[in-house]
Amino acid sequence: MVRFIVMRLIQTVVALVGIAMLIFTLVRVSGDPALMLATATSTEEDIQRIRVNLGLDKSLPEQFWIFVTDVVQGDLGDSLFKQKPVTGMIRDALPNSIKLVFPSWGIAMLGALLLGVLGATRRDSIWDNGVKFIAVLGQALPGFWVAIVAVYFFSVRWQLLPTSGLGGIDHYILPVATMAFFLLPGMMRLVRSSMLDVLDSEYIKMARIKGLPERIIIWKHALRNALIAPLTVAGMLFAGLITGAVIIETVFSWPGVGFILVEGVMARDFPLVQAITLLVAVFVLGINLLVDITYAYIDPQIRYQKT
Amino acid sequence: MQEKDSDSEITAEPVVSGLSRQARIIKKLTFIIPVIILSLIILMAIFADLAWLGLPDVRLAPYSPTKMSLPDRLMPPFWAEEGSTDHLLGTDKLGRDTLSRVIYGARISLSVSLLVILITSAIGTLLGILAGYLGGRTEAFLMRITDISMAFPPILVAMLLVVSMGPSFFTVVLAISLLGWAPYARLIRGETLRLREMDFVAQARIIGASPVRIMLRHIFPNVINPLIVIMTLQIGLLIIVEASLSFLGVGIPPPAPSWGNMVNDGRNLVDVAWWISTFPGIAIGLVVMSGNFFGDWLRDKMDPRLRQL
Repeated sequence: MVRFIVMRLIQTVVALVGIAMLIFTLVRVSGDPALMLATATSTEEDIQRIRVNLGLDKSLPEQFWIFVTDVVQGDLGDSLFKQKPVTGMIRDALPNSIKLVFPSWGIAMLGALLLGVLGATRRDSIWDNGVKFIAVLGQALPGFWVAIVAVYFFSVRWQLLPTSGLGGIDHYILPVATMAFFLLPGMMRLVRSSMLDVLDSEYIKMARIKGLPERIIIWKHALRNALIAPLTVAGMLFAGLITGAVIIETVFSWPGVGFILVEGVMARDFPLVQAITLLVAVFVLGINLLVDITYAYIDPQIRYQKT
Repeated sequence: MQEKDSDSEITAEPVVSGLSRQARIIKKLTFIIPVIILSLIILMAIFADLAWLGLPDVRLAPYSPTKMSLPDRLMPPFWAEEGSTDHLLGTDKLGRDTLSRVIYGARISLSVSLLVILITSAIGTLLGILAGYLGGRTEAFLMRITDISMAFPPILVAMLLVVSMGPSFFTVVLAISLLGWAPYARLIRGETLRLREMDFVAQARIIGASPVRIMLRHIFPNVINPLIVIMTLQIGLLIIVEASLSFLGVGIPPPAPSWGNMVNDGRNLVDVAWWISTFPGIAIGLVVMSGNFFGDWLRDKMDPRLRQL
């Protein structure tokens, strides 16, 4: 097990260096960021000074080395637009994102469990068809559009809720609700299909024969096992959370990481965008690592099979 | 935007002869209606104008999508009080005709999706067959990259590319394709693993066929069915991704009409001109829903094993 974890850790670090290189080159394929920063009145010397300031006069491998050493020391550069260290900007914005993502995720998860189990246990009933309908609708309607329509009805037309920004509890209702609706269908389908698989298995039949109450069979025996399968897609759920946060924060001008990211893209603030992407990459790799280790822990075959 | 998995367990269970008459009709309708909608939208995209045939004046769209007319700005759809039949679905803040922009938008959404599907399915199939057939370190390495790619949000890649290269049609296609091959690779690898153990592959090996020949002539033809199913199921997903990117300003740059950037245009005007954002949103929903239903139907027909996909 220790050997397995060490191997996985090494692989993760290698992958991280690979991604850092990829991000580094992607940002620089455009050519010269100094020209982007230059204004109409800048002279050749000004541009040269910008280059030296950004370290662009050095060779690419040298630049990459500086980039990596800075990142390891926790220095992700300064925002071109706000002239502040990007780490500070991210640190300020992150709590706002967390305040949005966690309640949405919790509500979506709860809804997914309830509806997914309902759909699986009463297959082809009105309930199941209702669940399918929500899933089809939720997957077809783009999250940003649903959010705008919700703003139109609840804020503009009926004036019940604020349109955007941070504030009291009423500021949370629309963003959290639309984000939960965005996350719900995917999770719900997962719960439903893995629940259907589990309900078909021998040990559930055994539990029925034993005469256990249906309530306990479903919520205790079946659900626990049905929840293991979605572990594999924890990574994809994470990608969904990030995408959702970027879109919902933009629609509601919610000052989280997604919002400053979109602002950064508009201002072509490459250190900021680069930093946030790198941070997400670290999270993605971390989650993959955790899922792998969890699986190896649950299933010894994986531990010995491929390292 | 949706999760990356296009698993569509939800609709269509396999057709059992015991289904009631009513249920069979509904089943048929979930195939016929989406196909009609998809065909209409494809025709709309092709015949928006006939400039590609050298006939720029023959057009289905009433106006050019970028033609501005400030006196006609913010006109509501024809059934509203101040609406007129000149602009059936109203106009935006620059007086551009919403209906024409929705029609031309179909062109952009569909061509991005089609191009991305071609690129990603080619890469994904190649890597999937290689990983599945060769096994060992190649497989471990390729599947590791696949896992990482599936967990990485395409929106971020698009943003990174836009910051460095600026927004364009090409940037969008590249950004979505960079990660989009992963689901194909994963599925095709699974199929290849299954096929590799089958007798006809063993026989080919005994005869002395080279690995390249086996992969090309024996494995590839057998993964085409699941490949087509997953390609179809990707249509809806890709349209949503493209629309989301355009909505965030990192997709198709204005003034080109993309459904996503139209929704964005109307975003701050929902209180005075709801129609600008509403119609492109409905168009996205219709196409995505039709694509998903069609994909589900195709999957049940061609390869019911993929229900867990």
